[in-house]
Amino acid sequence: MVEFLSYGFVQRGLLAGSLVAAACALLGVFLVLKRLSLIGDGMSHVCLTGVAVALLTSTSPVYMSLPVVALSSLGIMKLTQKFRIYGDAAIGIVSAAGLSVGLLITALAGGFNTDLLGYLFGSILTVTAGETMLCAGLLVLVAGGIFMGYRWLAATCFDEAFAHTRGVPTQAVNTVLVLVTSVAVVLAFKVVGIFLISALIIIPPVSALLISRTFKQVLWLAAAFGVGSVWVGIYASFVLNVPSGAAIILVNLIFLFVCYAWSKGVHRG
Amino acid sequence: MREVISARDVCFAYARVPVLEHISFTVEPGDYIGLIGPNGGGKTTLLKVLLGLEKGRGDIKLFGTPLAQFSGWDKIGYLAQKSPVAQSRFPISAQEVVLMGLAGRGARVGRGELKDVYDAMQQTRTRQYAGRIFHDLSIGQQQRVLLARALVSKPQLLILDEPSTALDAQSREMFFDLLGELNSKHRTTILLITHDTGEVGKHISKFMYVDKTLVFFGTKQEFCHSQEVAKKLGPFAQHTIDHLHNTHGHCPLGADCRECHHG
Repeated sequence: MVEFLSYGFVQRGLLAGSLVAAACALLGVFLVLKRLSLIGDGMSHVCLTGVAVALLTSTSPVYMSLPVVALSSLGIMKLTQKFRIYGDAAIGIVSAAGLSVGLLITALAGGFNTDLLGYLFGSILTVTAGETMLCAGLLVLVAGGIFMGYRWLAATCFDEAFAHTRGVPTQAVNTVLVLVTSVAVVLAFKVVGIFLISALIIIPPVSALLISRTFKQVLWLAAAFGVGSVWVGIYASFVLNVPSGAAIILVNLIFLFVCYAWSKGVHRG
Repeated sequence: MREVISARDVCFAYARVPVLEHISFTVEPGDYIGLIGPNGGGKTTLLKVLLGLEKGRGDIKLFGTPLAQFSGWDKIGYLAQKSPVAQSRFPISAQEVVLMGLAGRGARVGRGELKDVYDAMQQTRTRQYAGRIFHDLSIGQQQRVLLARALVSKPQLLILDEPSTALDAQSREMFFDLLGELNSKHRTTILLITHDTGEVGKHISKFMYVDKTLVFFGTKQEFCHSQEVAKKLGPFAQHTIDHLHNTHGHCPLGADCRECHHG
């Protein structure tokens, strides 16, 4: 364990992973509540377009994906509001568009290569110092936003129509929520890979929801499960020599089953 | 005194299918209005358009201010037909639900707001549920907590969409007594959608009948005489709803009531 922690890239991976997992879990609580949790899945597919363009132009996949995913998240919102399309259908449309454009660019650039596979399945141990700083900034933004705007956020996610009749700027709250989520998704694809980002957004809040008695408890536990899964997952991947992204998500699933069993036990008791 | 609601030529359509057509009316301070009409007649949509939850055409003013510029949301209490809070499995206490009614005052909970929550819960006899998880409460208890949420900002206008359907007989009586008290003592203006026509006619001062268009808007006496209402409801239902008739079935308007004599 000591040897494991002595590597600089492991320390950076653990730190960046913990920061982004906590941010994803906290955002996930509000997205699950709004029944928009699959937005992470949709945005992660759009990441493929950003990554493909970055690999084609030899630029940073993270920085290239940020504007692409942010614009797509606004596109999902517009589709639901202007065209009265259900949220899940809008996510499906944008997700398919992102995935197909990404695959098209990849094919034109000469097909898949190992770099792209790294982004599809995660490469947490290649996180740079700059990206770690970005992850820290993201968590500060998410935690600070929840602390400062808790009531607006909760009111909008629980009952948007009622929040509107209270004068809460629900449109602005929704826009900020999806934009911050798009940043979290982009930063998370290095941790768990494009295919597994949505799990980092959905599973910790759902686990927390099973055993919490207050809304604040849901927030704290979701963040704790997210961070815990990164630590246990990375250690397991080091010891068992398996992909870290998959290990992190499997640990999350174990947490989910334990929480489920716990909640059943409590109800029987 | 300033009008509470002014609606001029309000129209609304879902995907080019008209739901509301050319509706105009004025709600005065202290009015207690029962909004009735058939299912799918546009009653809920009308309330949503008045509150800006649906974008209709026409000119709407709330307390004299055009809807687009209106910011005094604390003056309005709203209770929807179905609240997503009731469907959520998230653990939120009844007290937190009521506190949401003050969300417009700022993103963080202000001083003294818990006192307002306490008062509203006292008013709706839900104080004993304050610490309980909202979705663990019965539907009737949830409805009373949601009424406390609508009342917590001490509104001058209450807009209620079928608020009594989930309530048992005792709670319904308490509910209408409370609305009556708010209307008579505090001059709270009330606009209430209901199919509970057996009960509502006892309490309200005016009827509004909406079936895509505004079929009728006026006092109970005018309702009793309205040819338009008679055509829509038939004289028997018309006179049962307005509650101007005594228990022996005689209309207090006597020979003046053409509908009774036609019946």
